[in-house]
Amino acid sequence: MAKPNLESRGKILAKLSEIELVNCFQCLKCTSGCTSLKLLELKPHEIIKLVNLGFVDELASSDIIWTCATCLKCVQRCPQKASPYHVIIALRNLTAEREAKVPEEYLKAVSQILETGLAETTQKVVTKKMETFDRESLKLPKINPPKESFQSTFLKILEEKGE
Amino acid sequence: MAAWMTKVGVYVCHCGLNIAGVVDVEKVVEYAKNLPDVAIAKHYTYVCSEPGQRMIQEDIQEHGLDRIVIATCSPQMHEETFRKTIAEAELNPYLLEIVNLREQCSWPHSEEPGKATEKAKELVRMGIARVRLLEPLERRKVSAEKSVLVVGGGIAGIQASLDLADAGLKVYLVEKAPSIGGRMAQLDKTFPTLDCSACILTPKMVDIAKHPNIKLLTNAEVTNVKGFVGNYEVSVLKKPGYVDGDRCVGCELCTKVCPVKVPDKFNEGLSQTRAISIYSPHAVPKVAIINPNYCLRLKCDKDVCGKCLEMCEAKAINFEQQPETIQLKVGAIVIAVGSEVFDASKMPEFGYGRFQNVISNIEFERISDASGPTGGKIHCPKNGEPPKTIVFIQCIGSRDKRFHEYCCRVGCMVSLKQAILAREKLGKNVNIYVCFNDLRAFGKGYEEFYRRARDLDINFVAGLPSEIRSTADGSLYFDVYDRGTNKLLEMHSDLVVLANGLVPSSDLGKISELFHASRSTDDFLLEAHPKLRPLESPTAGIFLAGACQGPKDIPDSVAQASGAAAKIIGLLSSGEIELEPLKAVVDKDLCSGCRMCEFVCPYVAIEMKTEIVDGIERLRAEVVEAMCQGCGLCGSACPASAIKLQHYTDEQVLAQVHAALVETKVKGGR
Repeated sequence: MAKPNLESRGKILAKLSEIELVNCFQCLKCTSGCTSLKLLELKPHEIIKLVNLGFVDELASSDIIWTCATCLKCVQRCPQKASPYHVIIALRNLTAEREAKVPEEYLKAVSQILETGLAETTQKVVTKKMETFDRESLKLPKINPPKESFQSTFLKILEEKGE
Repeated sequence: MAAWMTKVGVYVCHCGLNIAGVVDVEKVVEYAKNLPDVAIAKHYTYVCSEPGQRMIQEDIQEHGLDRIVIATCSPQMHEETFRKTIAEAELNPYLLEIVNLREQCSWPHSEEPGKATEKAKELVRMGIARVRLLEPLERRKVSAEKSVLVVGGGIAGIQASLDLADAGLKVYLVEKAPSIGGRMAQLDKTFPTLDCSACILTPKMVDIAKHPNIKLLTNAEVTNVKGFVGNYEVSVLKKPGYVDGDRCVGCELCTKVCPVKVPDKFNEGLSQTRAISIYSPHAVPKVAIINPNYCLRLKCDKDVCGKCLEMCEAKAINFEQQPETIQLKVGAIVIAVGSEVFDASKMPEFGYGRFQNVISNIEFERISDASGPTGGKIHCPKNGEPPKTIVFIQCIGSRDKRFHEYCCRVGCMVSLKQAILAREKLGKNVNIYVCFNDLRAFGKGYEEFYRRARDLDINFVAGLPSEIRSTADGSLYFDVYDRGTNKLLEMHSDLVVLANGLVPSSDLGKISELFHASRSTDDFLLEAHPKLRPLESPTAGIFLAGACQGPKDIPDSVAQASGAAAKIIGLLSSGEIELEPLKAVVDKDLCSGCRMCEFVCPYVAIEMKTEIVDGIERLRAEVVEAMCQGCGLCGSACPASAIKLQHYTDEQVLAQVHAALVETKVKGGR
């Protein structure tokens, strides 16, 4: 593994004002209960330890930090209030700031919210008889695109959260 | 003595490099030499050492010094040492001022030596300003009762009582429960020797009952404490047990006929007893007691039931028994009220209280104990079958910022012991796992005990589960990630034992108020000094023993109890006690009788007296000297400045404040 980069470690720590990452004593409760462990091999305790030792750059360029399902179980169960979830979010933000590898799905989701104001797109429904209906054919009211002020506010929020 | 006549000696201690490594001690000495009334100023590597102390004594005699300032570590450490030093040189020991250059200067400012030296100069200047106004004080002697109150009859209270009684002191042992024995009586075996708990405890319990110097008061609580070290007046409420203790022979015929079932507290509610019963198999005193919350006759206040009354051949049952208040006079008090076991239902993820087969470590003790509800057979509470897999989970409620930050100090060893007992009782075909974070085996023989557990094929999983789930038939399953193999283990278990930590008793707040015994941040009772005075509370005459001061195992509880007893024997052996002269004094002419001081005094040391002055009745405050602990609250509360605290008078303190604000440059001036 590469050499630790304490500068990057400092950047992550600065993003975690209230989260006492350094207090982690590796009890492994987070990993034992992690929703994303069984399928996606996310090990929250390992991420905490890597950040603590300064191996931030490897994490920021890896896919693993994007596998967190943000179920927040680790936040609830952590006996040291060291919250792996917040560390993972900080790593994601660092990746975005560096304009490094952000998964396409995340970027798509962001642009969709910008355009439609919705986290999920409107979908067509299929009946048992295999007929397909959209909102219009069901006479549901039309969904208007968000106001212009929404887009500017949304972008502003993204920037603030990224800091 | 007027301040301008004084000759002050100033001594700056290096404390090795603790002070001199940061503060430029030579500069501080040069500075001090030019301050008013300073006759001599020196620095020395260790002022507390024998040559250091001798240097001061010689200077006092040679130069006629009459005030001493020592700039060194905290007065908590060595003020008493230096008082003795100057007393040996025939200077009144209260003409001394300690300036704290270590805890309040060099340690916190180790990064900024220049500024630290400036601060050291200022602190020394303040000390000199104060020392010039100090007055000689004399210690007083009061007579002391040669008797002791011990509160709590667990192993700590038992050990303290026996040691005190053997030394010839009269002991009153007050226990809340109907029997002494405490937590230790509930245990099956003890680590690391696997001695049977009852075998080593019961003889001591019997010794208590038989000892001519011990008066045992069970089913009783302390309700009021007045007085001060050497002379406490204590009220104890003995609750009615509705059975005459002198007549009852402990035959338990009454329990057999009583129709009312009651959860058995001694068995942690795992079995039932009756409304009239003997508290535990080894109870001392072995006397039946009626639980008034359940007994039909006592609840209805009518002549109903009465089956026990008919059955008792000794005619011991007495429904007319009344509560009794007993007044005691004692010289010292030992608080040994112990701790409670953490309630794991506060951590819902582990299912304690929801899943019958998730049990606590104290419940395991009762299940494993031969005199317990299962006769010592380990089985799953849900179906009564012996478990094929048992998992122990560590650090429940301890080392956890959500509950208790401290380590419970017994959980690891308790689980090791219980795992070993399970292996011995259930044989080699049972799978036993211990899920741990850090396994702490720190005491004498403890690491060897850990190895013994590994020898017995007990598996250790380095990791804690996040949650436990249950199937419909009551068996349990959970995931736990193991640090050693880097694998997620999918565990199935018939029985899960939670290593619940020790927590402060729920009534410890009441007890701390009753005895003026302060508490530390972890809510246990606070010791006077964490290293040098661990056996006593900051309040004089109140001693601590066992888990009420912090989680402890049996060896540590016994050691602390014997230590506290030895301190009390030393304190009371001469029959008189020396009291510090740092007391409040009332100027009667200024006192308006507003009672502010009486209201703020935490030690009930202010008494209001009525006096007739010029034919008019006037209320005046008076300080009960022996009760005053010299905290100074009354002095700051008094609107008329009628109360002054000796050694900390307004003039003395304000001179120090003034010196902090204004630099005194001219030698000899005031």
